[in-house]
Amino acid sequence: MDDLATYAENTWCPGCGNFGILSAFKKAVRILEEKGIGREKIIISAGIGCHGKIFDYLRLSGLYSIHGRSMASVQGIKIANPDLKVVTFAGDGDAFGEGIAHMIFAAKRNADITVIMHDNGVYGLTTGQYTPTSQKGFKGPSTPKGSIEEPLNPLALMLESKATFVARGYPVKLDHLVDITVQAVQHEGFSFVDVLQPCVSYYNTYQKYNQLTEILDHIPGNLDEAMAVAKRTDRLPIGIIYKKQKPPFHKELYGDWNPVTKRLPREERTKRIEALLSP
Amino acid sequence: MVIKEDVFTFIVGGKAGEGVRKAGSVAARVFTSMGRFVFHMDDYGSLIKGGHNFSVVSSATRRITSHYIKADLVVAPDKRSYDLHKKHLADGGILVYNSDAVKDVEGLGVPLMTEAKKYPNPNLRIGVGAVAILAAAVGCEKDCLKGIIDQEYPRDIENNIAYAMVIYDISHAKIGGKFQLEGGDKERPIITGNEAIALGAVAGGLDTYYAYPMTPSSSILHYLAAHDRELGVTAVHPENEIAVINMAIGSAFAGARAMVGSSGGGFALMQEAFSLAGMVEAPLLCYVGSRPGPSTGVPTYTAQGDLNFTIHQGHGEFLRIVASPGSMEEAFYLTAEMLDVVWRFQTPGIILTDKHLAESRMTVDIDVKKAKWPESMMHSGGEYKRYIDTENGISPLLFPPSKELIKWDSYEHDELGVTTEDPDTIAKMQEKRNRKKKAVADYMMGMHTVNVYGDKGPLILTYGSTTMSVLEALRCGEIEAIVVQPIYLEPLPMWELEKYRGGNVIVVELSCAGQFASLLEEKVGIKPKAVVKKYDGRAFDPVELAGRIKEVV
Repeated sequence: MDDLATYAENTWCPGCGNFGILSAFKKAVRILEEKGIGREKIIISAGIGCHGKIFDYLRLSGLYSIHGRSMASVQGIKIANPDLKVVTFAGDGDAFGEGIAHMIFAAKRNADITVIMHDNGVYGLTTGQYTPTSQKGFKGPSTPKGSIEEPLNPLALMLESKATFVARGYPVKLDHLVDITVQAVQHEGFSFVDVLQPCVSYYNTYQKYNQLTEILDHIPGNLDEAMAVAKRTDRLPIGIIYKKQKPPFHKELYGDWNPVTKRLPREERTKRIEALLSP
Repeated sequence: MVIKEDVFTFIVGGKAGEGVRKAGSVAARVFTSMGRFVFHMDDYGSLIKGGHNFSVVSSATRRITSHYIKADLVVAPDKRSYDLHKKHLADGGILVYNSDAVKDVEGLGVPLMTEAKKYPNPNLRIGVGAVAILAAAVGCEKDCLKGIIDQEYPRDIENNIAYAMVIYDISHAKIGGKFQLEGGDKERPIITGNEAIALGAVAGGLDTYYAYPMTPSSSILHYLAAHDRELGVTAVHPENEIAVINMAIGSAFAGARAMVGSSGGGFALMQEAFSLAGMVEAPLLCYVGSRPGPSTGVPTYTAQGDLNFTIHQGHGEFLRIVASPGSMEEAFYLTAEMLDVVWRFQTPGIILTDKHLAESRMTVDIDVKKAKWPESMMHSGGEYKRYIDTENGISPLLFPPSKELIKWDSYEHDELGVTTEDPDTIAKMQEKRNRKKKAVADYMMGMHTVNVYGDKGPLILTYGSTTMSVLEALRCGEIEAIVVQPIYLEPLPMWELEKYRGGNVIVVELSCAGQFASLLEEKVGIKPKAVVKKYDGRAFDPVELAGRIKEVV
C-alpha cells in the first residue's frame, strides 16, 4: 500500500509529465525520512492548475493555495514555525505569470522554501493558452496567430534574483529528479527546481526533451558559469546549476526564535506592555 | 491673566521636515506631565519636506476625545503658518510668531531664527523653540522643561537645552504664565490609535504581523518592527499586499496568530486571499485604516468611506466579522477581542478605523490584564479531519507537525480537506460554513457589541472615530443626547439596535454617501431624520459639530 497516497482519484491525462514529478517526490520523501526529516515536518502547498492536483494526491499536510500565491503561503508557514520543511509545487504560469513578484522576492530574501515548478510551457487546465515560458509564436486559444512575447528563462531569472539553489530536472530521468528534489528540500535557503514537464494534450515535448536534455557532470562553481548553463539552448542541461550557502531570511530576521513554539506567555506579554505604557 | 477652566489648545505649524510633528508630541508631553488629559491631531500633507504641517494639541483636566481647531496659543514659525493659523486663534488667545520671518503683524514676535542661528542646524531647532514658548505661557517651570527636552530631544541635548532656555526667557518676559493651567490627577500614557491596536494585538496573542507600507496603517508595522524582540512578535514587510495576506494565512496554518494591516487600496489587493481565508477557515485578523478614496484619494487625511467595502470584503459566501473602535482604549481591547473572535470562529475579521483614530494621540487608561486572550477549539485526539461537520459549523484546529493529516484547501473540499466536485459534499460544506454565521451571532449576543452613552435626549447613532468627535461635541455644546455606537458592524448587532427603530435618530459620519445611515436603514429599519456628514478629509471640530447637531435636533 502506498502510504503517501490519498483516496483522491487521479485525473491527470494518461502520459502526463506530472506523474513523474509525483513519484519522484514520494521517493524523495522516503529518502528524507531516512535522513531524519519525518514526513509530518514536510509541509506542502500548490497553486492552481494541473500541477496543483498533486496536493490532493499526496498524503502530506499543507495548504492548497490560490493561483500564483503558494510561494507566499509557504513563506508564511516557515516564518511561523521554522522547524517545518516547506515545499510548494507551482506551474509556470503560476510562478512566473501570476506570482512572479513572489518568486523574485523569495529568491532575493533567501526564504527557506522549496519551489518545484511543473514547467510545461502551457496552461493545460484552461485549455492550452501560452504561458510566460512558452516559445515566441506559440499558438493557443488566446494567441491564435502565435504569441508575440519572448519567453522568460526561469533559471536565469532566479539566478539573477539571488536564489541560493537552482536546479533543473526532467521526470523521465526519474532517479536524477529524486536526487535533485532531496537536495533542494535539504538546502537551507531558497531552492528552485525547474522541472521540464511535457503536456501530452496541449504541448507534447517528450521527444524534444529526450533529445536535448543532458545530465550535468558537475555543479557550476560560480554564478557566471551557472548563468551560462542556464542560458544554453542547444542542449538543456539538467541537474543542480547553482548552490550557495547563505543565512536564510527567518534566521536573519529573528535568529533562533520560533514564533509558535517559543511564544511569550500571556503574563509576560502583559508585563512588557505595561512597561511600554508607563508614562 | 486668562484662566482657562476647561480646554486649552496649542497649535504649532511649519514646513514638513522641520520638526513640527515632533514639537506637537512634545507639547502633548508638557500637558501630560501636568497630569492633564490630551488629544493631539497632526495635519500633514503627502510630502517629506516643505509644504505645511501643523499639530493641534488640546488638553483638559477631564477626559478629552477630540482636538479643537480654535487655539489659545498658536506658534507660527513662518509666514505661511501665520497666515493660515491666524483664523484658528480663539477669543483671548495669543499668537506668537517668528519675528525673523514675519514682520508688521499683530501678535507677539519672538526671534526664533536669530537665536537658533547661534547653533548648528538652526532649522531643526524651531520645534524646540515652540515647545519652550508653550512651557513659558502655561507656567511650566524651567526645570520641568529641561527634563522634557532632555528626554524628547536626545540628539545634541546641550544646544537644545541652551536654545530652549533662551526662548523660554524671552517668551516668559512677554507672556509668562498667561495661562495658568490646572494640573490633573495623574500622568497618563499618551498613544496613537495604531499603537493601541498594535499593543492590543500583542496582548491578545499576536505572533506574526505582515504589512506593506500604506498611510495611515504603516505605523503599526513600524511600532511592531521596532519592539519585536521586546514583545515577542515577528513583523515582516513583504513585496506587496498580496504577499502580505497570503503569508499571514500560511502563518495561521502553522498555528501563529497572524494579522495584516493596510488602507483601502492595499486591502483591495487582499480581497482574493481574504476569500481564501473564508474557504480554508483561517483565523485571520485584518486591520484597515481608512483615508478619503476612491483610489489613491487623499493619503494623509481621514474618512469613513470604506464601511461598505469592508463588510462585503471577499468573493463568495462566508462569515466575515467587522468591528470599529470608538476610542484609543477601545482600539486596544477590541483588537485583542477580535483576535479571540476570529480564532474562535476560524474566519477572517477586520478592525476598521480611519486616519483620525489611527494617527491621533490620546491619553489613555488601559488595564492590560483585561485584554481578551484567544480561545479556539483544538483537536482532542483520534483521527483528525480538518473540516469535520459539526453542529455549529466549527471544526477543531490542529497544527503541524502532527502524525495526523492536516489539509487546508482553497477548492471546495471534503471533511479531510481533499478537493471535491461532488454535489452532496459541496452542499454540506456550504451549509457547514454558513452555520458559523449563526454561531457567531449567538456568541455575540453575550458580548458587549454596542456602546451607549447618556440616557436622555435625542438619539445620535455613530461609529468609529466619529464617536470621539460626537462625545466631545456634546460636552462642549452642553447637549444632552443618547449616543449609540455599534462596535460591531458585521454581523450588525440587530438585537441591540432594533429598539432604536422609530426613534428620532440623527446619524453622524465622515462619508458623503452616508454609508452608515444607509446600513442602519437597510438592515435595522432605522430611518434617520438627519445625517450630519463631513467629507473634506478632516475630522469634525467639536464646536462645529455641536452647532450642526443643535441645528437638526
